[in-house]
Amino acid sequence: MTLAPAAWHAVQAFIVLNVLLVLVAYVTLLERKFAARMQSRIGPYYVGRPHGWLQPIADALKLMMKEDIVPTASDRAVYNLAPIVFLVPCLLIFATIPFAPELGIADLNIGVLFFLAVSSLEIIGLFMGGWGSNNKYALLSAMRAVNQIISYDLPFIFAALVPVVLAGSMQMSAIVTAQQGLWFVAYPVIGQLAFLAFLVATLAAENRVPFDILEAESELVAGFRVEYSGMKFALIQLAEYAHMLGTSFLGALLFLGGWLGPGPAALGPLWLLLKAMVIFLLVTWVRWSFVRIRVDQILAISWKILLPTTLILLLATGLVVAMRGAGGG
Amino acid sequence: MAGNGGAPTGFWRETGQLVSAVGRAMSVTLKNLFRKPVTVHYPDVKRPYPDRFRGILALAYDKETGEEACIGCRLCEYVCPPQVIKVEMLKSEKRNYAKTFTLELYACEFCELCVQVCPTDAIIMMKSFDLATADRRDLLLDKDRLHALGLQFEPSWATGNRLRDMQAPPKPVREARGEAKGEAKGEAKEPAE
Amino acid sequence: MPETQAKQVVEIGYGGNERLMMNMGPQHPSSHGVFRMILTLEGETVVAVDAVIGYLHRCHEKLGESLTYVQYPSIASKTDYVAAMTAELAYVAAVEKIAKIEVPRRAQYLRVIVAELQRIASHCLWLGTWCLDMGGALGGGATVFLYCIREREMVLDRFEELTGARLLYGFHQTGGTRYDMPVGWDKKVRETVDFIETRLDEYEAMLEGNTFFRVRTQGVGVISREVAEAVGVSGPLIRGSGVGYDVRRAEPYSSYGDFDFVVPVETAGDCYARYRVRMVEFRQSIRIIRQALDGLPEGPISSRPGVKSVAQVRVPKGEGYTRVEGARGEIGCYIVSDGGPKPYRLKWRGASFSNLAVLPHIVPGHKVADVVAIMGSVDPVFGEVDR
Repeated sequence: MTLAPAAWHAVQAFIVLNVLLVLVAYVTLLERKFAARMQSRIGPYYVGRPHGWLQPIADALKLMMKEDIVPTASDRAVYNLAPIVFLVPCLLIFATIPFAPELGIADLNIGVLFFLAVSSLEIIGLFMGGWGSNNKYALLSAMRAVNQIISYDLPFIFAALVPVVLAGSMQMSAIVTAQQGLWFVAYPVIGQLAFLAFLVATLAAENRVPFDILEAESELVAGFRVEYSGMKFALIQLAEYAHMLGTSFLGALLFLGGWLGPGPAALGPLWLLLKAMVIFLLVTWVRWSFVRIRVDQILAISWKILLPTTLILLLATGLVVAMRGAGGG
Repeated sequence: MAGNGGAPTGFWRETGQLVSAVGRAMSVTLKNLFRKPVTVHYPDVKRPYPDRFRGILALAYDKETGEEACIGCRLCEYVCPPQVIKVEMLKSEKRNYAKTFTLELYACEFCELCVQVCPTDAIIMMKSFDLATADRRDLLLDKDRLHALGLQFEPSWATGNRLRDMQAPPKPVREARGEAKGEAKGEAKEPAE
Repeated sequence: MPETQAKQVVEIGYGGNERLMMNMGPQHPSSHGVFRMILTLEGETVVAVDAVIGYLHRCHEKLGESLTYVQYPSIASKTDYVAAMTAELAYVAAVEKIAKIEVPRRAQYLRVIVAELQRIASHCLWLGTWCLDMGGALGGGATVFLYCIREREMVLDRFEELTGARLLYGFHQTGGTRYDMPVGWDKKVRETVDFIETRLDEYEAMLEGNTFFRVRTQGVGVISREVAEAVGVSGPLIRGSGVGYDVRRAEPYSSYGDFDFVVPVETAGDCYARYRVRMVEFRQSIRIIRQALDGLPEGPISSRPGVKSVAQVRVPKGEGYTRVEGARGEIGCYIVSDGGPKPYRLKWRGASFSNLAVLPHIVPGHKVADVVAIMGSVDPVFGEVDR
């Protein structure tokens, strides 16, 4: 490349960011249509007949034009900064995701660690939003959120570490390359359990039903987001869906073989996208089928069931790898 | 969750229950994914109105003579629970008319009592519920507007005489009981059927 | 859950924690209407609840004094607007009791059919909104909600074919009913109840063994038998607490004695027990409708002439109280008559009003999320509460 590496990275980041934002917008449409069909209705239809293609654009324009209402009693600085602090980690995680063997902004050799660490930073933004709103409902929701996300980050990390141990590297492209023989999700028992734990932890870390006690529309009316309107609300929504998409991509890379698939190597990113969509639709399907459970029950599941399970799983994976290494030489 | 967490049988049974419950719920949603949606694309597609639909009120013309059917008797005004009808009678040689007839549609309950008491089937309900307007004053219907509505939409089945005939015991029974037309206003007790 | 008296504060044990008074205010997605609860919270646990009603007061009882017996049935449906047929039935049955008016058998059977259809529609709404509250407007709750509303729409279509209106009917009049069945309606009703019966299996599949649902509802909001009898709850609440009281069995009205149905009773007293009671009631209502349609006699639908004038019905001096089994419990209507065309005094015994009185006894000690589950299982309608 004739451009300096830094400039090249900047261009890549710009492209990825734009593609990502469009993708996130259309993923919301996909979720709405999918959910609607499961409920015997149609979903967005009129804006861009007959499938509502223009609905995300209409929503984005609407949110941009809405009045930005700031509660007078709120803590201004914290309130205004919260959406940004919430959004930035959710977009930053895409920096480490490789879309094809050489196509990724920064395919760090500690890629998985970076991803997991940065994605947990969103809790700060979440709590800032709840606190800065100066609203009891928002505060209650923020407290629940901190509880829940911290509890579920551990099983999430352990479940994500199983492919790392199996592949022997934290670099995401190395993990995908290690799946050329067999996808990690197909490994007997360990793979499936790890994938299941990963999905459950994703549901909880994303505040998706059945673990969405923090936004619980029927109790807390949008939780920590309740006082946000206009573009700030749009940023928060964007951040949530971007995070959801990010963990779907991570799951596809770690468990479902990333860009590996039949056909020419150029189709790689398409396979990755399809696999990420599979995980996303799976999570959506679960979301629209269950009622939520209470926060103490959520925490009980995490600490009493999920954490021991993932710990044991990780130990077992380590044993398997050690035996394979010792046996295979 | 609840259960004998440590004991192997308890844990596995609970897990099995959880998995089967999750599977069942998700299979129901999956089944619905492939069903036809029940959405009716209003206003492109309109649901057919049933015969007895209680929609907008209107004044009708007499079928044979083509004159206004309303005789200004004010029975509808008296029976209306929220008192939205106001009528002034205009006396004339052969028959009476309604000089003014206003109906406040924004307060109307659509209970159909006015239709039921009308002796000449003048006030009727239409098969339409497209009542939305941008100005509330459009919903204060005067006599001309009511007559125009009567010609604009399709009327429902219910008219005063039809409703009264449907509700009242059949004619042979009434005559057998010795009820002449003049005694029609029943007082207190009625003999059992 | 510790036993509490009304408004007695529960000592949790970890003293020194700051108490937060939170308003689950009249405008709230899951208060089932306009209802305000002032919750005192310690962390996530509700320590005291103070219920405030009256936001929907529309002077029904005063209206009853200024509207005649002919006009009021249309208004009576607006007390329990979700189950309008049973509310109208309470009023006209009270009038008929004082004036000793006989209702023809066909009208009685028609009243039973519409009352049971209305119970099915009301329970569909109950299940849908309860799951919506528990599962979120964007989540599995909404899915169950839309399924239930889809089935409820079918019942409302049947009502629309019968009366012309979908929610507030004005179907009952003193002496009988106002509308007779249109041609082919009984066949359509049979198809509707057959269809709903199959869909009920789907709801049960989604909820019955579902661990998430069970942990939200079992052991939550337990109304003990003593509290239920002392406070005076009725309907599914008391049947879920072990007392088999159903007005249709205790004081059969409108020829309910002709029908064969089971009154479900559960002893656990928690939200899950009330859910089971209502699910069984669904099926029993379908059973009653089928029997009523099979045995529907021919004949007039009213023992009085059709409504011709506003002061048509005059009731002799006297007073009377009737009770009917509404979808939420026992609805009572007490009328004092002074011989004219209007009542001298009209008093409604709202089922939800008495049912809500149980909240200060059962809510303290639960978490905030349970409050929503409990409210849903109590299933109040504020037209009855505030009148």
